[in-house]
Order: sequence, then C-alpha cells, then structure tokens
Amino acid sequence: MAKIMLKLPKLAVSMQEGTLREWFVESGTQVTLGQPIYALETEKTTVEVESPFEGTFTCIGEVGQTYKVGDPIAEIVQ
Amino acid sequence: MSDQAFPNALPQVTALSIYKTMIRIEACDQRIQQLLAAGALQFQYYPCGGQEAIPASIAPLLNEGDQVVTTYRGVHDIVAKGTPMAEIIGEMMGKVNGTSKGKGGAMHLSDPNAGVMVTTGIVGAGMPIANGLALAAKLKGTGRVVVVNFGEGASNIGAFNESINMAALWDLPVVFLCQNNAYAEYTSFADSTRSKSIAGRAAGYGLVGETVDGTDPDAIHSAAKVAIERARSGKGPTLLECNAYRLQGHSFGSEEDHMDQEELAEARANPPIAKFRAALIDRGDATAADLDAIEADAKAEVEDAVEQSMAADMPSEDELYIDVFANTADVPYVGTPDNKAEPDLSDREVQTITMCQAITEALDLALEKDPDVFLLGEDIADPAGGVTKATVGLSTKHGEDRVRATPISEQAIIGAAIGASLSGMKPVPEIMINDFTMVCMDQIANHAAKLRYMSGGRTSVPITIRTVTAGNIGNFAAQHSQSLEAFFTHTPGIKVVAPSTAADAKGLLLAAIADPDPVMVIEPMRCYYVPAEVPEGYYEIPLGKAAVRREGKDVTLISYGWAAVEAAAAAEALAEDGIEAEVIDLRSLVPLDLSTCLESVKKTGRCVIAHAAVEFGGFGAELAAKLSEELHGELKAPIKRIGGSYTPVPFTPSLESLHFLNADKIKNVASQIAG
Repeated sequence: MAKIMLKLPKLAVSMQEGTLREWFVESGTQVTLGQPIYALETEKTTVEVESPFEGTFTCIGEVGQTYKVGDPIAEIVQ
Repeated sequence: MSDQAFPNALPQVTALSIYKTMIRIEACDQRIQQLLAAGALQFQYYPCGGQEAIPASIAPLLNEGDQVVTTYRGVHDIVAKGTPMAEIIGEMMGKVNGTSKGKGGAMHLSDPNAGVMVTTGIVGAGMPIANGLALAAKLKGTGRVVVVNFGEGASNIGAFNESINMAALWDLPVVFLCQNNAYAEYTSFADSTRSKSIAGRAAGYGLVGETVDGTDPDAIHSAAKVAIERARSGKGPTLLECNAYRLQGHSFGSEEDHMDQEELAEARANPPIAKFRAALIDRGDATAADLDAIEADAKAEVEDAVEQSMAADMPSEDELYIDVFANTADVPYVGTPDNKAEPDLSDREVQTITMCQAITEALDLALEKDPDVFLLGEDIADPAGGVTKATVGLSTKHGEDRVRATPISEQAIIGAAIGASLSGMKPVPEIMINDFTMVCMDQIANHAAKLRYMSGGRTSVPITIRTVTAGNIGNFAAQHSQSLEAFFTHTPGIKVVAPSTAADAKGLLLAAIADPDPVMVIEPMRCYYVPAEVPEGYYEIPLGKAAVRREGKDVTLISYGWAAVEAAAAAEALAEDGIEAEVIDLRSLVPLDLSTCLESVKKTGRCVIAHAAVEFGGFGAELAAKLSEELHGELKAPIKRIGGSYTPVPFTPSLESLHFLNADKIKNVASQIAG
C-alpha cells in the first residue's frame, strides 16, 4: 500500500495560492486516472483538477478555504 | 510481411524503435504532469502531447554526433536524442543530477554528450544558433547534421527569416523542423499568418520545403530521411513542417478555451501513439503483449529516474557563482581577476600604425595561430574589407570561408558565432556599429552570455564580438554614436572590453579571442585612425588589468575607451594648475580591476569617473557607488561622474559638443573637487 499526498498544484507561473471550491468525490471512494476530483479557483480562473493517480481517495482540504501552493489537499492510497 | 500489405510502412525494426521512443516520451511527459498535478513539483511545464511521433521518427536517422536544438516545449526532442531520463527529470526538479546541475531548469536542458546543444526559452532563437553548429560542421568537415526544432509561431519571428536565408545561402547542413501544433501559445495558426503552410515559405528563400502529417511516423521518417541526406551530402538545408495538433493547452494547468473544442476532441480521440500502436498490431509488426512490455519498460525507466532524482541533492551554495565564467575569479566583486603579468614587450620592434591597422594585425595573427578562429560580419571580405577597413586583406589571405561576409542579419551573425563556438570554434563576429547590437540583443544577452550557466558548465560560448562605437566623430547622430557598454556589463556572463590605445586594442583583442568566455570588444572610432606606436608580433594584454596612464596624488581620473584619451589630456591641463591627477584606463569593465581603482582613490581621496556613455545609469554609477561603499570615511570629496547628457546623441555640432564630454569638462569637474 502506497500513500500519495496530493498537494495544491501550481497551475500558472504567478500562482501562489488557490481556493478549494468543490469536491467532486467523497472520502473513501475509488478514483481513476484523469477523473475530476476537485474545483480549484485561482487568481485567473477556476479549473477542475484531475486525479493524477488511481486509488482510494481521502479529502483533507475544506471547501471555501484558501491554500498555498504545496499545501496538502487530499490523499490517495494505492 | 508488412512490406506487401503496407507498401509505405517502415521496416519492422525501425517501426518498433520509433514506437519505443514515442512511449518513452509519453511516459516522461505524463509522469512529470502527474507530479505537477499532485503538487509534488512546481514549475512552468510545456507538455509535448501529440508531438511524440516527430522526434521519435527522426531519431533512427541521426548519428550520435548529429546535433539538435530545441525549445521549452522540447522534452520529446531531448528524450529522443538520447539524454538519460534521470538527467532530464533531475534537471526539472532542480537537482545536481540534472543536465545542468539544476541551474537551467525545465526550459534549458542541454546535453552536448547526446548532441542536445541548446534548449531555448526564447521563441525562434534556436535557428540562428543551429546555423552556427552547422557552419562548424561544414568548416570542419565532420559530416554532422543539425536539426533545429521550433513551432509554427516561431516562424513569424525575425530570426526565422535571417536564419533560413543564411542557411540557404551557405548550403548549411541543417534541417529546419517546424513542429506545427496549430497554436502559438494561445493564438491559432489562422490568427497568426496568411501563409497556407510554413513550408510554403521555403521557395522564397531558395530551399526545399515540405509539409507532412506529424502524427504519422512513416511519413515523417521518409521526409526526414531525404532532408537529412540532403544536408549530409552538402546540398543544403530543408524546411520540413510536421503538422501535429497540440493535445492540451499551452502549459500545464493552463486553460484550453482558446482551442477549437471540436478539433481538440477529435485529435484527443485519435492520438498519434494509439494510432501507431493499432497500425503496428495490424501490420503484424508486434503483438499487443509486445507493445505492453515496451510500455512497462518505459514506465520503469521513468520511475527509476524519478527515484534517483528525488534522492539527489539540490546544488550547494557555492554553485551560485560557478559557471558564470570559466573562472569564477572574473565575476565582479566575487573574485579578483587573475592578474596575469603585463607582457614584457621591451625588446619588441615597434611600428607606427593606426588602431584600425593594429586590429587588422591582431585578427591576422589570430587567424594564423588557431585554425578554429574565423571572422564573420557584414562587408568584411575583400574588396570592401569592412566599412572601417579593419579586415582589409584578410579574406584574400585566409580565404572567404574564414573571413566570411554575411547578409545584413545581426541575429544570424551572432547566432552563427554562438553555434560554431558550441562546437569548439573561436568565432569573431563583427557588429559594425555598437548601436546595431540592439537588434541582436537576444542572441548576445539571452544566449551567448547565459549558455554556460544555463548548461551548468556543459557548454561555453568563446566568441569575441567586435563592434565600433562611433561617438563624437561628428554628425553621426542618435543611432550611430552610442556607447552601450552598460547594457552588457549589466548582463552576467559576457565580458566587456574597451581599449583606448592602438597597442591595447591589439593585445586586448588577442586576449579576448583566446578567452574561454564571450567577450564584447568596443572599439572607439574616434581613436581608430590616429597613428601610434604598436609592438610587433603576437601579445595579449590580460583582461581585468587596468593601466595607470599617469601617476598623481591629488585626484584619480578613471575612464576607458575614447574618453580615456580626454581624461589623459585633462590631467595634463590640471598639472598646469598645480593639480596632480592619476589617470586610470580600465581597459576592461568585466572583469573589473577594482583593486587598482581602490588603491588609487585611497591614495588621492578624490575621484572623477569619465565615460562617453550617457551618465545617467551608466557604468560610472556602478563604480562610483562601489568605491564610495569601500572607501567611506577616507574620501576627501564626493566621487563625481561625467558622461553624456541624458539625450539621444544630437546631429548638429553645436548640440553634439554639449552632449559629449571632453578634456575641458573633465578638468572642470576635477578642479571642483581638487582645486
């Protein structure tokens, strides 16, 4: 079993932080590669972040909260 | 078997090798994006999805010695040319195991071991440099071919025009590989040009152009084979356009609203890798299991590279100043230039010649001494012999290959010099007038000055750019009279030399040509045709060693270039008033002989810095600030500067004389603080 921490990604060169707007999956569910997992609002736009891994998903971040690039957002267990 | 059913198909071995490279590219590209999406890596990444087939299909046609130049969206080109996966990923993570010890980053991978000579972040800038690599191949007869990759967006940049024209003119062994992915950043092909294709432009330059489906390995391979054979056999360049739709936005994480959504969906539904996989199985070249094994191997290779790179260190602090120059001692204020002794020329015969003739002699000696030295520039070959006549006779003596007249194409001139230097040559490009360096500033400042550092010392650019500053010769006006040295002293990685005497012009130029770093030599036209004594034979005046022209105890006059002549005259006039001025001619600004300046100003307690360049924001401001910091409390008066007025250089004599300094003005300023 491997635990992978998903951190807030840097989606643009100027991006320092982003706001978690919505979870598309619940903790405990299986996610597949490329499945949209959360909506992230940045200074420029709101994007659907796709899962870079498959496995069992756990939400860490809270909707409405602003996080810095690199802050933990979720976890996937493979 | 595939030969009969698929007459245009590649041999099985080649096809599988191409597929394997495509899969290795995809594995690398996807893994990087996975790490970015997980927030484990954070940098601007330009994915290559959709373009994998292009370099993969060309790779089997290139020898180890062949060279590639690519762009920031170039990881596919780099993987295909053979750079080890761990060095690519390590560099993207900023680790010491990367191609450039982490100092170049994702946009500047270079790996001369594999023939990846430059990866540039400046759109279109690779083409002039590729010409230089190809020129070196041609001059040295290595049989090497250069492939330069760029996007269709880069085809609308001036460097494209200059480079394609020069390559066609000189029959250079280069393949201009336009990877047309339909979007230049956020702008579509149709919104960028009325050209129907990029290859169609080739006819206007007198070279062959061809467009192929950049998702079809069979088509790419066969077209590239003809182009590479053409280059290798000395028949010149080809403009090969490979159309391959970009399967994602401009950069990782960027929106895709600017892309035609129907076209994008269609391209994504039939990506080149899946299409080729199906074809290989269909042709009977491989089974699904064979291809699965290739994919598993590629993933394992990438995983191993990620693990190695995760475990590697970031570069240590001492790396900050390493690779700016070959010798860190040349970095201003960080080291003290290795003061090689001034050559003992006391037993030399002396001749009375002009600075211009001294420069011609230096170039002649350099061409004789080192077969890797060659000159290039506008009008430099005989009978013109250069607009200043500084190269007269040299093409007749050394041949037009080594004293090479060029089109009026400054970016192509400097790029060709850079490329040839990356292949070990010692080019001496001439940019006729200092003002014209502004039209090739990208090649000088973003490439010549930075390639050693961006490659972590794997490459270097030992070129000597000769240029004349034509200030204060009368009526040459705003665009032919500037002294622009401060642009270059403000650009880490390039040395700047400014002689004031004929003997120095010769010795400094020879030292610059022998130097392992790029050097700009700014020759003052005001001193160009004044006869003076010059020692005969070869000698070098070391860079970073100022000359004390006159000793004095009351005030130090620091200058360089033609202003140093005015400073010396000012000192004589001051002596008549009983003020003994010490005159320092810096000779080179980078490396800087700070210790000679400090020693003198410490002694006199007073200093005037005089230069032809505009005073505001000039090199004198830097030097004055540094001397004030170092000698605070020991100065008897504030350090003064005198330079050009904050105006473009006026044409009319009444205003031109107000703009520039002269001996009287220097004397007046010095008298104010030392009188």
